[in-house]
Amino acid sequence: MNSSPQVVDFAVGLIPLLAAIMLVLQLLLLAQRMLVTVIRVFALQSLLLAVIAGVVGYTCHAWHVTLVAVLTVMGKVLFLPWLLERLIRRVRIEQEISPWLNMPASLFLCGGLTLLGYLVARPFASAERVGGNTLAVAVALVLTGFFLLINRRKALTQVLALLTMENGVMLAAIAFSSHGMPLVVELGIFFDVVIAVMVLGLLVFRIRETFASMDTSRLNELKG
Amino acid sequence: MSLIVLLCVPLVAGLLSLVVRHVRALEAINLLAFGTVTFLAVRLVGAVLVAPGGVVLGWGEFLRADALSAWMALVVGVVSLGSSFYAVGYFRRELVEGQLTVGRCREFYRLTHFFATAMLLVVLVNNLGVMWVAVEGTALSSVLLVALYNRKTSLEAAWKYIMLGGVGLVLALFGTVLTYAAALGHAGGEALPSFDWSSMRGMASQLDPKLMRLAFIFLFVGYGTKAGLAPMHSWLPDAHSEAPSPTSAMLSGVSLKVAVYALLRGHMLATACLHSDFSRHLLLGFGLLSMIIAGPFVLTQKNLKRMLAYSSLEHVGLVCVGFGLNTPLTVFGALLHMGYHALAKPVLFFAAGNIHQRYHALDFRRLGGGLGRTMPMTALLLAVAAVAISGLPPFGLFYSELTIFAGAFVSHQAWAGAVALLALLVVFCGMLKRFAHLLLGRPGAEISRESWATGNVLAMVLPLVVLLVLSIWLPAPARQLLERAAGIIGGAP
Repeated sequence: MNSSPQVVDFAVGLIPLLAAIMLVLQLLLLAQRMLVTVIRVFALQSLLLAVIAGVVGYTCHAWHVTLVAVLTVMGKVLFLPWLLERLIRRVRIEQEISPWLNMPASLFLCGGLTLLGYLVARPFASAERVGGNTLAVAVALVLTGFFLLINRRKALTQVLALLTMENGVMLAAIAFSSHGMPLVVELGIFFDVVIAVMVLGLLVFRIRETFASMDTSRLNELKG
Repeated sequence: MSLIVLLCVPLVAGLLSLVVRHVRALEAINLLAFGTVTFLAVRLVGAVLVAPGGVVLGWGEFLRADALSAWMALVVGVVSLGSSFYAVGYFRRELVEGQLTVGRCREFYRLTHFFATAMLLVVLVNNLGVMWVAVEGTALSSVLLVALYNRKTSLEAAWKYIMLGGVGLVLALFGTVLTYAAALGHAGGEALPSFDWSSMRGMASQLDPKLMRLAFIFLFVGYGTKAGLAPMHSWLPDAHSEAPSPTSAMLSGVSLKVAVYALLRGHMLATACLHSDFSRHLLLGFGLLSMIIAGPFVLTQKNLKRMLAYSSLEHVGLVCVGFGLNTPLTVFGALLHMGYHALAKPVLFFAAGNIHQRYHALDFRRLGGGLGRTMPMTALLLAVAAVAISGLPPFGLFYSELTIFAGAFVSHQAWAGAVALLALLVVFCGMLKRFAHLLLGRPGAEISRESWATGNVLAMVLPLVVLLVLSIWLPAPARQLLERAAGIIGGAP
């Protein structure tokens, strides 16, 4: 990092804090059942990721990380939530039905997963470039995102769970290198994610039309 | 230069298809594009063989083809050409019978181009991050093809495919990030000069071994899911059986192998970095597990296309076993096996497509037997392809399987060879039982004899003829290419 020491100190303190808030929002996602709120919490989480990228890009004078921040705001904070909210208006479903595992138990389990993330990341702390424990948060985001995907039944929430996992991976990419991944890779990932959500949205809509439901536990005909 | 053209042909054809509305024109574009791709892939093989260092670069160093990439590109081209040839007759009949709307038919022709482009990008791109982007691209372009019929079951299959594939690919992305991080420690700076395969391979011994080991585990789970390795295979029989037959042929014939290719790149990097058998043991173990799991499912299978999908699981498992044993002989056999399987498996799916169009069912119980009488031509070709896929002589799969087993026994890993052989035997018994009943038994329903169309038969005969010719006589350049590719995987620079 080659900015003035005060700025760097500030950034080093700020980034783990922002990352921690991302994790708190993840737990909020687990507890939330209203689909609109789930989408907005995801947008907020993505906004924090964008701020982290922005701070890193500013302090390290890495213009392409700043570009990643801008893209994240445009894609994951504005466009995808807008797309998904339009989708839930079209399919007219507002609430998630009860998940497989009830809320206190899921929160307890996710506490365990966060601890696991910390343990997994600890041996690699020396490879981190940005703040302490950012990698631990990233691993925890991937693990809890995976749990969210398994635990929820509505197709739309599963899409969001997949996106939070992706947020975790992008956080890890920033934690390892203050310059993130090479620009061409970042751009590729960005467009993949946007197209993925559009394809998934189309599928969710078709599933809703055909099954008159978004409950993926009804997708159980194919066996053996 | 040739690499850019090879990638641009299907891409431009795909973009052109977006504005063309006439189905006949779309068919022509499809055939023309994949014919050109196959031709260019053959040219690429020639170029790679004479190029200095055996590597062809394109667009700076963004695109890179060594012997392994050229071989994969050839497989992609041939299978795409074969299925677009079969698709013409198949979709015309679907349209006549009203099984599909014209719009859905157009969707097939458009998406197939992007599916093929993404697969070609996977095998030709140098940058490991962009390779991940391309693998994700193959999943996104094929999932709507799986859901083409919009039946309840096909939507279910598509959802499982994209959810399992999506989780797998997020993990593979994590693996890619970790690979990048493994190189950072010794690169000195904050960013790597390049994330290209060639430069990563060059500095493989300087990578952080702890990070690289973790990275390979994530890459293995991620790309392994896409390759359909057990126990992450549960999407595979669903997607392959619910997709329209030309797409099933591409998914089984080549898309699984493209994922194996991505896995191989990680395996080569991990082996060069760790100097241990860690990654090859993972390949061997999960390859064997896939073969063992496929057996009982083939034995008890009630649906023709699902049985074929489980047979693909078996063959992907065998290919991974070949790479996992990691002797020159087994790696050569595995590469050869990919090619032969890519010629035989599509024909089986085409035959299944014909049967479905005639009987409107794929359930063995509802099909009954006696296909030899009601659909003599399809039955004959199905029988020949089944003989080929079971690894019986004179077809090449016999030869490639023999090579893998010979390598296993020679290199004192006889137990692995024995387990794989046993698993193959189980699948063979299952297929023999089903096909004997299906082809020879008494016709269940009163169905008039099929009136076969020349184009349809040709689309199935041609791959089999090519397979037979290449089984008996493998041209010297092809052999040389495969030996070089085996050398690259085995650790040659």
